[in-house]
Amino acid sequence: MSLLEKKELFVVKDTFVSDQKNKEDVFKEVFSKLSAEGLVKPEFLENLLLREKNFPTGIDLSVVDPDLPNVAIPHTEGKFVNVCQVIPIKCKNPITFYNMIEPQKKIEVSFLFMILNNDPEGQSNILAQIMDFLTTTSKNSLKAFFKADEDIVIFNFLNNNFS
Amino acid sequence: MIKILAACGAGVNSSHQIKDAIETEFKNRGYNVKADAVMVKDITEDMVTHYDIFTPIAKTDLGFTLEIPVIDAGPILYRIPAMAQPVYDKIEAIIKEKGLK
Repeated sequence: MSLLEKKELFVVKDTFVSDQKNKEDVFKEVFSKLSAEGLVKPEFLENLLLREKNFPTGIDLSVVDPDLPNVAIPHTEGKFVNVCQVIPIKCKNPITFYNMIEPQKKIEVSFLFMILNNDPEGQSNILAQIMDFLTTTSKNSLKAFFKADEDIVIFNFLNNNFS
Repeated sequence: MIKILAACGAGVNSSHQIKDAIETEFKNRGYNVKADAVMVKDITEDMVTHYDIFTPIAKTDLGFTLEIPVIDAGPILYRIPAMAQPVYDKIEAIIKEKGLK
């Protein structure tokens, strides 16, 4: 499998630190900017919300390390986005998501990797890259990363630590 | 050929990761396995008749009764061998039980 180049996966101006208190408002805040930049289509937000409701994307990281915060990987169908990119979103407030592999369970999430993938049949597997980052980066580095609340710090860490 | 149907909500990321992981693992285990990744909403009763095993991310209500074995494949997404192994073993047990080739 060939992987996407790091430089294509993250963009500093598309790295967010959000003060919102629920996922709907986080999604709206991020959609507003991504839409203005032409990265997503007008139907993106509605389909992102619907997809999250029916097929939640919260990932419980306590199985990796009990001290790591949980994350989510919100995304929707490729036809609603125009690029292959990951949008990092640090949430200053815990956001309630449902667990992707146990959808009846609520989890509190503090970081989102919003996946924009307009080439689902391509050779890149963005989710696999995210999971490898979360499970192979040193735990102490990850804990420090999840505490960061400056977009440039978040961007630099991801750019330097995604393999 | 053993045919496996992987599915997730968007058919973009999770199901493709499951597909890739299952095909790689079962090639290593010596089986001829082909997996397809689809959106849950696109699955029909007729589609399922073309597959031997269904591997959704989590328990999924398709609105009809499935006639093929279902293995929840979500733990594979973590890419941690200790979590994925039991899923692969369940799939292999079905392959052996049903004599799939």
